[in-house]
Amino acid sequence: MDHLLPPDIVEAGHSFPAELAACGDLDALLRLKGAYVGREGSHAARLMELLKLAPKEQKRDLGAAINALKQQWEEGLKSRQFEIETKKKNRKALAASWDPSLPPPVPAQGALNPLNRLMDRLVEVFRPLGFHVEEGPEIETEAHNFDGLNIPEDHPAKASSDTFYLAAHPDLLLRTHTSPVQVRTLLRVAHDLGIRGGVRFLSPGRVYRKDEIDPTHSPMFHQVEGMLVGHGIGMQHLKGTLEYALRALFGPHTEIRLRPSYFPFVEPGCEVDVSCPLCAARGCRVCKGSGWVEILGAGLIHPKVLEYAGIDPVEWSGWAFGMGVERMAMMLSQTPDLRLFFENDQRFLKAMGGLD
Amino acid sequence: MWIERNTLAQEIPAVSGLDTRQLCEMLASLGFPVDEVATREGSEVLDVDITANRGDAMSHRGIAREVAAKLHQPLMAIDALPVVEGKPAVEVRLESLACPIYSTAVLDLGSGATPQEAQSFLRAMESAPKRLPAVDASNELLHRYGHPTHAFDADRIHGAVSIRWAKDGELLVTLDGVKRTMTKRDLVIADESGPIALAGVMGGDGTKVTETTRRVLLESAWFDPKTVRATARRHSLHTDASHRFGRGADPAMARVARDLLVGRLASWCGAKLSGAWTAGSTPAVGASVTLDEAVLTRVAGESLSMPDAADALERLGCAVEIAKGRIKVIPPTWRHDLSSPEDLAEEVLRLRGYEHIPSVLPPLEGPPEPLSPAYLQRQRLSRRLAHLGFHQTVSYGFISPEADAAFTSPDNSTEGRCLANPLGQEFSVMRGSLLPSLLAAAEQNLRRGSREVRLFELAPTFVSGPQGPSEHISLGLVWGGMLGGEDYLSPARPVREADLSGIAKDLGWDRLPEIRSLGENLFGFEIPISELPQAADRIIPAFRPFSRYPAVERDLSLLVDLDQPYQVLADTMKSSLPSEALQDLRCVDVFRHKSLPEGRQAWLMRMRFQVDRTLVGEEIDGWVGAALAAAESLGASLRA
Repeated sequence: MDHLLPPDIVEAGHSFPAELAACGDLDALLRLKGAYVGREGSHAARLMELLKLAPKEQKRDLGAAINALKQQWEEGLKSRQFEIETKKKNRKALAASWDPSLPPPVPAQGALNPLNRLMDRLVEVFRPLGFHVEEGPEIETEAHNFDGLNIPEDHPAKASSDTFYLAAHPDLLLRTHTSPVQVRTLLRVAHDLGIRGGVRFLSPGRVYRKDEIDPTHSPMFHQVEGMLVGHGIGMQHLKGTLEYALRALFGPHTEIRLRPSYFPFVEPGCEVDVSCPLCAARGCRVCKGSGWVEILGAGLIHPKVLEYAGIDPVEWSGWAFGMGVERMAMMLSQTPDLRLFFENDQRFLKAMGGLD
Repeated sequence: MWIERNTLAQEIPAVSGLDTRQLCEMLASLGFPVDEVATREGSEVLDVDITANRGDAMSHRGIAREVAAKLHQPLMAIDALPVVEGKPAVEVRLESLACPIYSTAVLDLGSGATPQEAQSFLRAMESAPKRLPAVDASNELLHRYGHPTHAFDADRIHGAVSIRWAKDGELLVTLDGVKRTMTKRDLVIADESGPIALAGVMGGDGTKVTETTRRVLLESAWFDPKTVRATARRHSLHTDASHRFGRGADPAMARVARDLLVGRLASWCGAKLSGAWTAGSTPAVGASVTLDEAVLTRVAGESLSMPDAADALERLGCAVEIAKGRIKVIPPTWRHDLSSPEDLAEEVLRLRGYEHIPSVLPPLEGPPEPLSPAYLQRQRLSRRLAHLGFHQTVSYGFISPEADAAFTSPDNSTEGRCLANPLGQEFSVMRGSLLPSLLAAAEQNLRRGSREVRLFELAPTFVSGPQGPSEHISLGLVWGGMLGGEDYLSPARPVREADLSGIAKDLGWDRLPEIRSLGENLFGFEIPISELPQAADRIIPAFRPFSRYPAVERDLSLLVDLDQPYQVLADTMKSSLPSEALQDLRCVDVFRHKSLPEGRQAWLMRMRFQVDRTLVGEEIDGWVGAALAAAESLGASLRA
């Protein structure tokens, strides 16, 4: 029927689908609608004029052609409008949407010091056995640091090459172990030890020895010592407690080994090895292939230490142990350099200390 | 010390039947762990760790005694031909109780050298042979039997020899070529011209044996351990001899070692004995010690057979009597560490093996004690701060005086906190503040590229006092760098003082903390934790009713002077409002801009009202008006 229509309208009819597709928003669509099917001046309006003027015998065919064309345009516009509106709605929804894979704001995360964490862990391990924590000053007297612990008057540890002394107070020193806490505690509880039913405690803390700073030495480090005084306490109780504690620390399959050794404040004295927690005692670099690592020193409290505190060593006996916190931390983490523990680099602290 | 396997086997042949690993394990189980096994001079040598109480084990003979006791195997006899003693060739005077016995001999040296075998043994001991038989033989005996001896060039000794206390200021050039000034607490060997040796520590240079020496005077004595230790320490002269005498040598070995030395010199270089004698006598044996069955049972954790225990002590060389459940023991002359029943119990357990000790948890005899509030407070604080993003540091308690002075109050004297013997000036003062250490750590973190640094430390700070420094646990905290900017919701901004103030408030610090500016966008504060709130005694505090009616918020935007103190304004406004209705009043925004009148800033004050009924508008308007009037009385005005 195209021959009945003006050529420019036929042309417009052909380009309609492309123009429709080019409409990106409702405004453009409205303009297109006006051009094709608007009341005045549109292609449709012109066609209606044409139809009025057409000869009678053509009217029927022409009318059908015009209607078909108009219907095609109107339907196209309608569906395009729907498309555009849907798209707009979707965009709005997207704008309000959240991409869960974007990095979210994370609350700042700090860290406990790994040495403190390790000491806390030891306290936790001993708590169920009734141990509490005793603490004491870092500046101590010679009496508490040495004499009360049966350390002979001329012991080399007392030399100024080994122990820091205060310039204005020659009788005061920086404690070389946390053992003065034991002396202080025993002195304090001696008078009512019977009512208390003995005493058992841990003493974690900082200690000082005159060592130059290098990958394995530090003039300050941490110790955790433990002490128990009761009736009839012997080596079996030391072994039983340490076996319990080291298993709680390293796992139920951990074995311990006691070897004779010597410390002035205990008798008998021993070193305690633990089956290597890193290789399950199969032999590795840390245990030097032996399956055992030395973990602490211990023994039965020397009668002279009890006597010094005014406790009768015939009625009472007990055990004590002491371990180096840094040494254990280095062993467990395989940190190659002790100095890292005192550098306080946040990356180290975060990785090694972390949080519960 | 180094132990050579073949030489050990000469003392205790049963060792040959053990492989090295078994031997090392046995030594460790006896209390002598082996640090290292090396091969020297074609033979295995063990680096055996010997504790300070066991001077008697510092020789092949000493280790052999232990192994023999453990293995129930016999030791070889010491192959020493007793020398017939006669009249002293030189007068020897013992003038101090610190030397009860001094055995000696004079020999004419012949020709001949130290045998190869002895030389390689010395090299295995890391002791270079001197190729002077008298010196090498003395060294060989020391490693073999643990008894130090000395050979003097007899022709260089003038007149009688005395073992006496030195006079203050007397001089002696020791073998190492060092001129030493004696004190009256140094025991010396002296001839009539003065000291010729530091007793038990080192010989003198003037009387040493050289290639030209023809005649030697031998010394095999016993010196008081305390005296030797003190002299070695006083002169910083720690020698093989001082280690052994200092830990207690075997007095019964004085004559024997002399005899052995004479025998070696005779066979090595054809030396001829021209006289041997002993001044003094072996000191009396140690007192007896008694081990009760009860003590042994308690220490061992189970009942052990007393005859077996006695047998163990006997194998270790003790003279033992057993009667009525007690073992009476006289320790052997080489053991100076057996003086209490516990010592004996340890020996019995040691020989039996600590692996046999049973494992028992100690019974609870009384109620456990709680953890102290101070300890719990620190645990809580450190956890809270870590959760707030802070990292717990550990730093040395001593710092440099300069760093300390920058942060410590001037009335906390530095002198009272100084160490007498610091590692260096930078570690010489017990710190009065944690901030210097935290500042150093913060700067290092920022230098290493951290955008933000948040650190805290809980540690003692020291305050000088007449009786010495007192210690107070402080909390030091530093925060610096840039906040935020690391995700699409948190804008970047530098850390401000107010951020730290907020932390102090969070921890329960109810005052304004003194916030120190430590650098660009870097701040810190320090507070004594004794002044922070402790955990309340009550598990749950008493109930306080609260209103169920809705709260009403009203904002007032005020123009105030730039120097208006906030707290004053807030307090004034609060006092104009009914305290039972006012829940909160605070500044929620500060606006400073050139569009505002000069010298003024805008504070957005938010008030929150709540009572136990519904609030009506007019009532609130009245309160807000009163608050505004109060603010205006301080020069504030409503921002248009």
